[in-house]
Amino acid sequence: MSDKQPKKKFSFGPGLVGALSASPFALLMLFGFVAPLLCVVWFGLMPPKTFELLQAPTLENYRTIFEQTYFKSIMWSLGLAAVTVVILLAVCYPLAFAMAKIFRSGTAFITYAIATSLFVSENIRLFGWVIGFMKKGVVGGLLETWFGLQIDSLLYNVPVIVLGMCYVYLPFMLFPLVLGVNMVPDQVREAAFDLGASRWQVFRKIDLPLSMPGVMIGSLLVFVLSVGAISEAKILGGQKVVTIASDIESEFTYAQNWPLGSALSTLFIVLTTIVVFLALARFDLEKLLGKKPSE
Amino acid sequence: MIVSRTQKAGFSLYAGLVLLVFYFPVFCIIVASLSKRRFFSFPYPQEQITFKWYEDALTSPQVHDFVSVSLRIGVVTALASVTIGFFSALAYARYRWKGRKTFQRLVLLPLFFPQSVLGLALLMWFNFLDVTTSWWTAAIAHTVWIAPITTLIISIQAYGLDESLEEAARDMGATRWQILRKITIPLLLPGMISATCFAVLLSWGNFALSLFTTGADSALPEWLYARMTSGYQPMVPAVGVLNVLFAIILVLVLFGIVKWSTRKSRRATAAAGGH
Amino acid sequence: MDESAAPILEVAGVTKRFGKFTAVNDVSFQIADGEFFTLVGPSGSGKTTLLRMLVGMEKPTEGALKIRGQTVNDLPPNKRPTCMVFQSLALFPHMTVGKNVEFPLTIRGAGESERRTRAWELLKLLHLDPNRYYNKNVTQCSGGERQRVALARALAYDPDILFFDEPLSALDARLRKMLQKELKDIQRSTKKTFCYVTHSLEEAMVMSDRVAILRAGVIEQIGRPDEIYAAPKNAFVAEFMGEVNLLDITAAGGATANWDTGRKTYPLNLPAPLEPGAARKLLIRPESLRFLKEGETAGNAVPVKILNEFSLGSRIQYHVEVVPGCTLTVERLREERASGEALLGWELADSQILES
Repeated sequence: MSDKQPKKKFSFGPGLVGALSASPFALLMLFGFVAPLLCVVWFGLMPPKTFELLQAPTLENYRTIFEQTYFKSIMWSLGLAAVTVVILLAVCYPLAFAMAKIFRSGTAFITYAIATSLFVSENIRLFGWVIGFMKKGVVGGLLETWFGLQIDSLLYNVPVIVLGMCYVYLPFMLFPLVLGVNMVPDQVREAAFDLGASRWQVFRKIDLPLSMPGVMIGSLLVFVLSVGAISEAKILGGQKVVTIASDIESEFTYAQNWPLGSALSTLFIVLTTIVVFLALARFDLEKLLGKKPSE
Repeated sequence: MIVSRTQKAGFSLYAGLVLLVFYFPVFCIIVASLSKRRFFSFPYPQEQITFKWYEDALTSPQVHDFVSVSLRIGVVTALASVTIGFFSALAYARYRWKGRKTFQRLVLLPLFFPQSVLGLALLMWFNFLDVTTSWWTAAIAHTVWIAPITTLIISIQAYGLDESLEEAARDMGATRWQILRKITIPLLLPGMISATCFAVLLSWGNFALSLFTTGADSALPEWLYARMTSGYQPMVPAVGVLNVLFAIILVLVLFGIVKWSTRKSRRATAAAGGH
Repeated sequence: MDESAAPILEVAGVTKRFGKFTAVNDVSFQIADGEFFTLVGPSGSGKTTLLRMLVGMEKPTEGALKIRGQTVNDLPPNKRPTCMVFQSLALFPHMTVGKNVEFPLTIRGAGESERRTRAWELLKLLHLDPNRYYNKNVTQCSGGERQRVALARALAYDPDILFFDEPLSALDARLRKMLQKELKDIQRSTKKTFCYVTHSLEEAMVMSDRVAILRAGVIEQIGRPDEIYAAPKNAFVAEFMGEVNLLDITAAGGATANWDTGRKTYPLNLPAPLEPGAARKLLIRPESLRFLKEGETAGNAVPVKILNEFSLGSRIQYHVEVVPGCTLTVERLREERASGEALLGWELADSQILES
């Protein structure tokens, strides 16, 4: 019925109910998200090593940041995040495809098996890798008993940090991808095959463009989360790599220089916000959530 | 879709491999938690298997304290974020109002935000407000992060809510409050229950926010982190395994609810005339 | 219907705009107490918007809605003595059949025994055995059963006017026919006013006392089904009634005109004189057309070529070509079968001149 198109909800005062129901959430975000962030931005303008908020603003902290080697940790964070995104895309897409299109009961099993990990503190899961990879750990022990190979600790290097990040953030890539692949109608794929497209062509021309919302959301989530990661580099990487997040943390803890930490955080926030907004402006999330996957 | 047997086998093999790698650390922790030795090395002889560390973990008053703090944070977070999430889900998915599109975009912002920075920001904010941080400030921090998630979960159900049900109730004289009580809440209940489970679970496992906002109190993941970075202690893997078990039990509950509610909604959509 | 009875519902100059789009444009009509009134129109005609205004889910931009002489423009749906049966039926999936039917009584605060008695009565009225259905889950009912539950629930509200938003459209043809008759019976026995909305004129004709045909937010024609059938006001209404032949004609003085088929013009005789030069449509029903035998004459005759034939049971429908690109539909009994080239004719009295 197309004459329903311009219809509105019944409403006393258009949209009052909607705005009213949104208000508790809006208040929470105002006082629990926006205000704290403004607080950080303001604190970043305070003189170094102070805990007082009511002083004349200065740009000294930012000067310190650009004079010292903080940009290195920023580059490390961005680089590690980018590598993680690429690896996870490659690892998760086939799995997501299988979950969305091939497996039946298997999909639910994999979903729950992977989702469970979301609820276990990432520290515990990373600690499992430590036990696995440390000297005389599970991997070392197995290699020795089976092949007589003696290996040293596999920990404290860059690849193991990447492994840790991929491991921790895998669910955040996998589930959006499953949603995305679900949006590709089977009949469209079949039609493409029927019209003579090869497997690769179907992937390039049909699967990938139609599942793009999932790919975008997954990549974005993983990127933002891994840019802000602390634990992976600390637990698995030792002090091999210093990320921006751990820089920030140490300014707050060991160095007790809150203004410098705040300035770093501000920079970091601005960076991630730019990335998120650039990406979010390009598509409508409601489509992904509101639409049911076509059978 | 028609898939050949070999294709399916290939994908299954791949999925199995991913799961194997994914559960390798859990396996390692279980192995470590059963080792008698104070300093773990692998492999260890069978007679060195012990449940001592579990006993220690379960009886340790220190661990009890951390669990109690974590649970308190979890319960308060769940109650707050589901209540807030219920209304914001209606604003997100059900009502049409002026700021809806903007609201939908902004809801997600805290999710796309590094938690460690959010935790720090809240710490400074509480400091500025002269609030002493403790478990309940952590609950606030968790709510800020989890309310968007509960909103999304309840929204998915709210999208499936046939608006004409509410209109019909209203047409038959029901007030706004009666509609909410008799139609909207019962129909969104499965979503609200799964959102509650999600909230408790996410709060239970959260570390980055707790690290900065618990103050003198300490949540379980914080304690584990401290122990992990300061050298090996055999009770840590045991606590970790117990932690995982708790999560699995809650996930199974969640699974049951989701199954029950999809069956219900499938019947409901079948009843909607199948169009 | 008894036109002298006081109208239960009066729609006076109602207009609804959504931004620049006018969905309903200055519509006026009245519904008498106890009448079965149907609004019919294709999708996009504004009938659903009009219905939503009548029930109170939408407010008119202009004009007045009156129920029993009282303006109800600003009355929300829960304060109006009207009730609607939704297209989706809107049965509450988390309640049993009984609880669904009782819902309006529960809202009104009626006692347990009163609710139960009433629900029991209504289920019986709608041929749903209460012993079987009262505790049944609505989600387990069949399409037809759910139609009845929805109607029972609406009747439980005891509205002055019942509105229907194409509730039968999802059903198969046979069940729909049956429920149409049942609906008519229930309307007669309860003496309620029914206002039905549909896109099917056929459905409207079967049930209604009066029908209003909407196009693009405007009422084209309003009247009893037989009136509309006998004298469609214009080409739109005629076409909406089903398969008819509409010929583009230009009056050529007196009771003659030229029929422009695109390639060739034919001189035709008209049933009535027309001012020369006027462009009109000539309506001829498929059953009024016949194939002329040798030597037989008719008011008008045109040579045609028979393209296709379709069996309609006892009758056969032919598609005939006058010139390439211009076809007519003919319906004849099986006995008068024809094929190939033929001479097609009709009597002047069987054709009508319509505004286009």
